[in-house]
Amino acid sequence: MQKQRICSASDVPDNGMKSYDIEGRKILVVNAGECFHAYQGLCPHQDVCLDEGYFDGQLLTCHQHLWQWDIRTGDAVGLAEAPLEKYEVEVSEGEIFVVQSSALKAVDMLKDVSPASLERLEGLARREQLPAGTVIYEVDDPADDLYVLESGRVEFTIGRDDRTRLAGFMLRKGEVFGWAALLEQHPRRIARAVCHEDSVLLRLNGEAMLEALEADPTSGLMVMRRLATLVARHTTGPQNS
Amino acid sequence: MKIQVNARNRTHLFEASPGEKILHSGLARGIALPYECASGTCGTCKAKRVSGEIDDAWPDAPGRKSLKSADEFLMCQCVARTDVVAEVPAYVQMMDTGSCVPCAGAGRIASTEMLTHDVMLIDVDTDAPMEFDAGQFVLLGVDEVEGMRGWSMVNFDRHARRLRFVVRRKPDGVLSDWLFSGTSRFGTRVSLFGPLGHATFYPSLGRDLLCIAGGSGIAGVMSILSRAEQDDYFSRHSGDVFFGVRTARDVYFLEEFTRLRRACGQGLTVTVALSDEEPPSALVNDYPLIRFDRGFVHEVAKRHMAGRLGNVIAYLAGPPPAVDASIRMLLLSRVTADNIRYDKFS
Repeated sequence: MQKQRICSASDVPDNGMKSYDIEGRKILVVNAGECFHAYQGLCPHQDVCLDEGYFDGQLLTCHQHLWQWDIRTGDAVGLAEAPLEKYEVEVSEGEIFVVQSSALKAVDMLKDVSPASLERLEGLARREQLPAGTVIYEVDDPADDLYVLESGRVEFTIGRDDRTRLAGFMLRKGEVFGWAALLEQHPRRIARAVCHEDSVLLRLNGEAMLEALEADPTSGLMVMRRLATLVARHTTGPQNS
Repeated sequence: MKIQVNARNRTHLFEASPGEKILHSGLARGIALPYECASGTCGTCKAKRVSGEIDDAWPDAPGRKSLKSADEFLMCQCVARTDVVAEVPAYVQMMDTGSCVPCAGAGRIASTEMLTHDVMLIDVDTDAPMEFDAGQFVLLGVDEVEGMRGWSMVNFDRHARRLRFVVRRKPDGVLSDWLFSGTSRFGTRVSLFGPLGHATFYPSLGRDLLCIAGGSGIAGVMSILSRAEQDDYFSRHSGDVFFGVRTARDVYFLEEFTRLRRACGQGLTVTVALSDEEPPSALVNDYPLIRFDRGFVHEVAKRHMAGRLGNVIAYLAGPPPAVDASIRMLLLSRVTADNIRYDKFS
């Protein structure tokens, strides 16, 4: 999405919010008094319109199941299990414009990375547009690269030959897969990843990422902490059915 | 029939018996499929059919308003005709150890009693003991009336052989017409599925208890109070119950509230809010341990809880507009969302 005019600043009252349909997607514009914010207009939980929810100046709440987000960042707060996709906002001569932000900025694992290091990571990322049906990697392929979903849908299958099983799918901007690329002595893929729809991915080399993070240990530590949480979630969840 | 549910995080496989709702089959096997009302109105249990044939028991279910394509369906209303693969765009885990896994059961109506001109107390004896958490509900159906309804338990007992409910007469409710027709329903066989519901109370929560209920939403609150009483909860934490009805003739459970106040002492406060009239002095005088006030229940709760919301866990129940008003009031009073519990029925 290119830079896009959404509305006039005067259309959204102080401490109010409105949603707009732009090129087939719903965008929520929030007037937080001193500035405007723009987010995806539908709750990532059950596609409920967020403009029907509550905004108290700091937190945005979906009225259906009380998922909440920090209005400045879109970070999940309390019950929410996913952040909101944030758009960059520009106000020019009383008109509000939004620009889609980079998928890297939506990556939970990279939330606390310094702006300089994030820029360096942006430099490492290769943007790939893959048609539906593309196999991104197979079981036992070397785990060199990490992927960030920008759009589309990626499905995972575990097992071999005719004993395979779908092991989940990703469809939210900023979801990360192939993170084994950041682990030492874990050089092989354990699942098959396939684009289920036409998809856009950011591809980052694991070693190059680790190098960038070594140069900024504070950011690196935060990434590793979030990675550890991610790994723990994967290993503690019940896997049998 | 084999059911495969593809969730965001993994795939779940389970068997469904002929005629069994897909949601029920999954829940009964300990799979925490998403749901709230489990009775066709909220739309939370929507899934997308990838392959296989299903029958929809209620094609006009109000919950279908949240469906976006012809492939989507409500798991609480649909039965598999063949093996089915469905997709649920959510993270679906196994239920936590220790949670009450629901199952299908049966029982019979053991007694009914009119509590007011339009509210009935119903006891159901179950064929097998049922474990449930305070604040949960079951789906109940009778042969004469199509579909199942969600009713919250009033009581709280381990290995319960008897479930107690309150039901309010609804203008166009088919089951309601059947119940309130004047014919005795004593002995009628009922089918059950449960327990269900996420708005559960455990003494280990360790917070001040706030319950705001409109009308027959008080049922689940009574179960929570029963659990709290059995644990002597109000010697450690305060309890505030707000029960909203229209007029003095709509109020019930006053004897039970009085008994609870005596048993639990100063820690528990019960307030009855009348929305349509000033509390008559006869009522106020007859029940000195209960506070009466005028207003909508969320407004009355806001007034009396001012400055005391810091450490509460709130349970909300009743007509959806009343629940929504209470949610708004609590959020704007900075009660965090994880301390607000309710099951949405719309």
